Amino acid sequence: MGPLSREAWAQRLSAFRASPSTSMAGPEGEDLGRDLLSDLRSEKLSEQTKVGLQVSPALARVFTPARTELHLRNFLLNSPSQVSLLALSLEYPAQLWPDAATAEAAATSLLDTLVLLPPRPSALRRPLLLAATTALAVGGALGPTSEASCRLLPLLLGLAMGRDLGRGFGPTSEQRPLQATACECLRELESCKPGLLGGSLGLLRSLLGQEGPVQPLSLLLALALRNTLVLQSRAGAGLQGLLMTKVFPTGSGPWDWTLTEDDTHLQPQIPSWPAAERECGAAALEPSLEEAKELRAAVAQLLDTSYLLTPVAQAQLLWLLGWALRGLRGQPPALFKPQLVRLLGTAQLTLLHAVLALKAAFGEALFTAQDEALLLRRLTLAAQHPSLSPPTHLFYLHCLLSFPENCPLGPEGEEAAPLLLGPRLCHGLLPSLLHDPMALLARLHLLCLLCAEDEEEEKGQIQTPQRYLQELLAGLQQRAALDGGPRALATLCFQASYLVARYLGGQPLVLTPLIHGLAKLYRARPVLAPHFVDLLDQVGPELGEPLRVMLWQEVVSRRGTDEALCWHLQLLAKVVDGDSQSATLSFLQDAAAYCTDWVLQQALLRVCRALLRVSGGGGLADLLQALARQLEDPDGRDHARLYYILLAHLAGPKLGVALGPSLAAPALASSLVAENQGFAAALMVQEAPAPIRLSLGPSRAEGPLPVLQLQVEVLQPIYSLELRFQVEGQLYAPLEAIHVPCLCPGRPAQPLLLPLQPRCPAPAQLDVRALYTTPTGLTCHSHLPPLSVNFADLFLPFPQPPEGSRQSFFEDLWDSCLPKGAESRVWCPLGPQGVKPFVSRHLEPFVVVAQPPTRYCIAIRLPPDSRLLLQLDSAQADGVPVALRTDDWAVLPLAGDYLRGLSAAV
Amino acid sequence: MAQRAVWLVSHEPGTPLGGTVRFSRRYPTVEKRARIFNGASYVPIPEDGPFLKAVLFELRLLDDDKDFMESRDSCSHINKTSIYGLTVGGEELWPVVAFLKNSMIYACVPLVEQTLSPHPPLINISGISQGFELLFGIQDFLYSGQKSDSELNAKLNQLPDLLLQACPFGTMLDANFQNSLDNINFASVTHPQKQPAWRAGTYKGKPQVSISITEKVKSMQYDKQDIADTWQVVGTVTCKVPVPPILGFYQVKEEEVQLKIAINLKLHESVKNNFEFCEAHIPFYNRGPITHLEYKISFGQLEVFREKSLLIWVIGQKFPKSMEINLSGTITFGTKNQEKQPFDQICIGGTAYLKLHFKILDYTLTGCYADQHSVQVFASGKPKISTHRKLISSDYYIWNSKAPAPVTYGSLLL
Repeated sequence: MGPLSREAWAQRLSAFRASPSTSMAGPEGEDLGRDLLSDLRSEKLSEQTKVGLQVSPALARVFTPARTELHLRNFLLNSPSQVSLLALSLEYPAQLWPDAATAEAAATSLLDTLVLLPPRPSALRRPLLLAATTALAVGGALGPTSEASCRLLPLLLGLAMGRDLGRGFGPTSEQRPLQATACECLRELESCKPGLLGGSLGLLRSLLGQEGPVQPLSLLLALALRNTLVLQSRAGAGLQGLLMTKVFPTGSGPWDWTLTEDDTHLQPQIPSWPAAERECGAAALEPSLEEAKELRAAVAQLLDTSYLLTPVAQAQLLWLLGWALRGLRGQPPALFKPQLVRLLGTAQLTLLHAVLALKAAFGEALFTAQDEALLLRRLTLAAQHPSLSPPTHLFYLHCLLSFPENCPLGPEGEEAAPLLLGPRLCHGLLPSLLHDPMALLARLHLLCLLCAEDEEEEKGQIQTPQRYLQELLAGLQQRAALDGGPRALATLCFQASYLVARYLGGQPLVLTPLIHGLAKLYRARPVLAPHFVDLLDQVGPELGEPLRVMLWQEVVSRRGTDEALCWHLQLLAKVVDGDSQSATLSFLQDAAAYCTDWVLQQALLRVCRALLRVSGGGGLADLLQALARQLEDPDGRDHARLYYILLAHLAGPKLGVALGPSLAAPALASSLVAENQGFAAALMVQEAPAPIRLSLGPSRAEGPLPVLQLQVEVLQPIYSLELRFQVEGQLYAPLEAIHVPCLCPGRPAQPLLLPLQPRCPAPAQLDVRALYTTPTGLTCHSHLPPLSVNFADLFLPFPQPPEGSRQSFFEDLWDSCLPKGAESRVWCPLGPQGVKPFVSRHLEPFVVVAQPPTRYCIAIRLPPDSRLLLQLDSAQADGVPVALRTDDWAVLPLAGDYLRGLSAAV
Repeated sequence: MAQRAVWLVSHEPGTPLGGTVRFSRRYPTVEKRARIFNGASYVPIPEDGPFLKAVLFELRLLDDDKDFMESRDSCSHINKTSIYGLTVGGEELWPVVAFLKNSMIYACVPLVEQTLSPHPPLINISGISQGFELLFGIQDFLYSGQKSDSELNAKLNQLPDLLLQACPFGTMLDANFQNSLDNINFASVTHPQKQPAWRAGTYKGKPQVSISITEKVKSMQYDKQDIADTWQVVGTVTCKVPVPPILGFYQVKEEEVQLKIAINLKLHESVKNNFEFCEAHIPFYNRGPITHLEYKISFGQLEVFREKSLLIWVIGQKFPKSMEINLSGTITFGTKNQEKQPFDQICIGGTAYLKLHFKILDYTLTGCYADQHSVQVFASGKPKISTHRKLISSDYYIWNSKAPAPVTYGSLLL
């Protein structure tokens, strides 16, 4: 593919700039980096460029080279030419050449383009150097194995030294700007790869002493010095004479990479000051006497010529040197002293900031108490000087509240008014209604700090700053109350209230009028209800609680028919509580008649919901019932009904949890939706391992049906327990569930009675499930181990016949079993006690005729309508023959098993 | 001390997006350092589209303030500096230095050379003040001598190249963009001698040093017993003075449909009675247009701006011999039209002010001056020394004494 036309490139570049990610994902995205590099070198595009420069060779003879350059620049600026291609590579190398290999290739190509430029003035050399540097640094290709790095670094250093690099490097007119550019490139590489220039420190020093450009060299040397000091102190090494070596590092061999640092471990240049203290304290470098002298000389050299730098560059130099010297033992910061005379009076934002950094770094060692007072006075004035811009004022005000004092009193890292900043000095810094919102808040913060101090000094009495604060807040409230005023005004009033509550929460003298003022504001403009809700959410109880009560009174004292009903309801949902429910309820009852649309109904229901959470009671139940009938909207009616059901069925704590706010779901307009995930989770049944153990107690053997006695133990308190049983194989009729209100571990519980309705007289397995509420309000469901109903559990006695007729009663039963039934005989082994204890232990309730020790007649009723009769006759020492009859042949094997089971137990 | 990115966004209320990104520049080498320094708290620089949206929202410049929005209107969301956290893609981009000036948002993101969580104090971040200077520099460049939109566009087109000079890698070399422009234009000039970086080209004219002292005087006058009047003079030299230069009172009485006003101004005898200009602006906020005006004036002329509901009393160059002047009158207003007549948050009800605008050349209230014979210049050549003085009014208010007025702190302390 040949090079693109200028128009095509213009289109492509603007598409890329609009959205690099979309553009890179597009069909041509991957090729952009490659196309860019090839077109940079393409003859055709340069020809296009030449078209625009047709006059320039001629001009070159007439005008100075500078004028030609200007023409060239103007041309290049206005056409999507090579310069704009380079601009793109300066901004988006990470997208164009995302990995080290492509970045290396790109840098190589850019360097080739640079070398091949014809030896006449060109606007491309500078951006090409910048682009190659950027590509290498960003792509992570910078390193000893990268060929492009090994080409670029000596080239940059050579240019920085002002060496003659031959005709290829353009006319001499370009040497000086290129020298500065090379320094900038080296500085950027050093920033990204600290220590890179460690070996060139001496060289840079000597250059600075000669005629090199002061600013680029100063900044480069300062950065390299700082990085070297940090790296060497971390490595526990000294400066190793690095400041004195004046050898070109690539004179004969390759670049010295040994002093560089892995760039994944870039050290913070300006960490928070206290942190820096600790860090440096641990690894402080103690240079030798000779080294210290050289170091001082280098720093002094940099500082002495620093006035020649632009203010922003001077500031950078001060930050760097301050940081460099901080970590050194025995290096008094007095070197900075001569500069301070000049700097304390600076009107430059960056310089004043740098002075504050020095102040924080060196404190008393560099700044006397007078210096401190002077700095404070200057900051105070700068923070209000009419010739400075509002953003500057605000930044100075911030500096004032974070001022690095020589002897700080307050806790570290918290904004506070400096000790020397008395009320008199603050005069001009206090807020007034005329200020814009940011300035007002910043100044209000200062005023709050002053009031807080004031209170400490003279408790009880109302002081002037407090009085002023009151007036200011009243003014803000008055403005916020303006009908139809912008929301920003209201926001400002609430922000101010929040600040006051935060800093002066313990001062009732300030809070009381604030609360009254806010209540008045609500009266004037209920439309601000969302702001009130937000304020109540954000402030502590000192303001929040009295304000809540006040606002509640404010709302319920209205008639519910107010046109601002929607806002009243919104606020009421926030401020309602369990006390004085009747006033709330009567307000709501009035309001209900006016809640004609869905939004209002939802707002009304939200208040009910809030009431449900904090209390309950008959009044609310009545209201909900009325709403469930009366509301027009079916959604509203359903909701009222749901709340009513919840109120009627859930205990207080559970209601609270069920209706509590959820952290997961955002607040939404509908109360229905607001029954959010938390609510759903609270109402939904959770599957859980059983904290309950069930066991069968002794059978009761009385009444018309068999009844199981269940013993229950719990491992944690549970509420509203419901036990559900299911009979396997439908041997019995479906069983009723058992309900228990509350069970606690360690507290003996009454046995639970489970009546059975057998459909046939057979043992069975019962499947058991438990549904219960945990103390946290969750409803859980557990599957318990199955319960076995034994054959004997179904035994019931016959009604006892009169004393004289028992024998005949039994015989009638015995005879009636046949012929449809069955008969059997078994030998039942007995223990050493004989037959009597055997009977009384297992069969006592069913004995009809007893003639101990030899004969027992036993009749057992087996629901639904079977019988089992046993005759124990002529017992012997080791056992007894048992004759058994039943009218249901299916019972016979069960009975046999039962008897054998009894014998086995013996 | 480096910047990760810089933007210029024009604020265009009423348009669908609310603004346009007019210029942006990213610094990938700085971004690479940010990723390493910030570690887990690193948030990448967004593309222009998402940035535009986020910055307009955070600066409250989108038109929809109808509904309460917690992320913007919450009382705890307080910004006390021009440094913001922007929500972009669910993450917070911080610190963003941004301010609005002449419908243009200037914004940049300074590199923070440590973790961002928790936010380090702003005073510890060198890039903050550097960022401010960069933005101020751009602002000065765009608006120095700029008159029309086309001139602004031309300057915006020059910006990429200027930044390539003044801030090639995100670390600023010079906040004065005019110097950078000179640098480009005079690139050929060689500099044999050591020369300040802020003076790149050699100046061909006569060397001269100009020292000018400008004082700005602020005043709040209430004409009330329980509130003290205040004044403050700030300038190159700052000090307190015994009197404000012009003392006065302003009385407004509302009588049914009309306002009665009475104004008295008195120049202090110690003040030089020679103004470059002196005017009293008398605005009437939150009312309709002026429909009828009757007035009596002892000196000067009264200009009436009916639609703006504004009176300007042009006092001129001198006060009369008596040093005292009066204005009284009756004003009737028409029906209020929200769009045409000015709205003000403070001048509600009877609260009203007049504001004095004046300038006196060759004069300072403090008496401060520079003696041109005592100025020493340590440089080769003999520059011509000139000195100037002037006094300018700045926020010089006289409040209606018949109604409440916003009180400044000083008024209460005294």
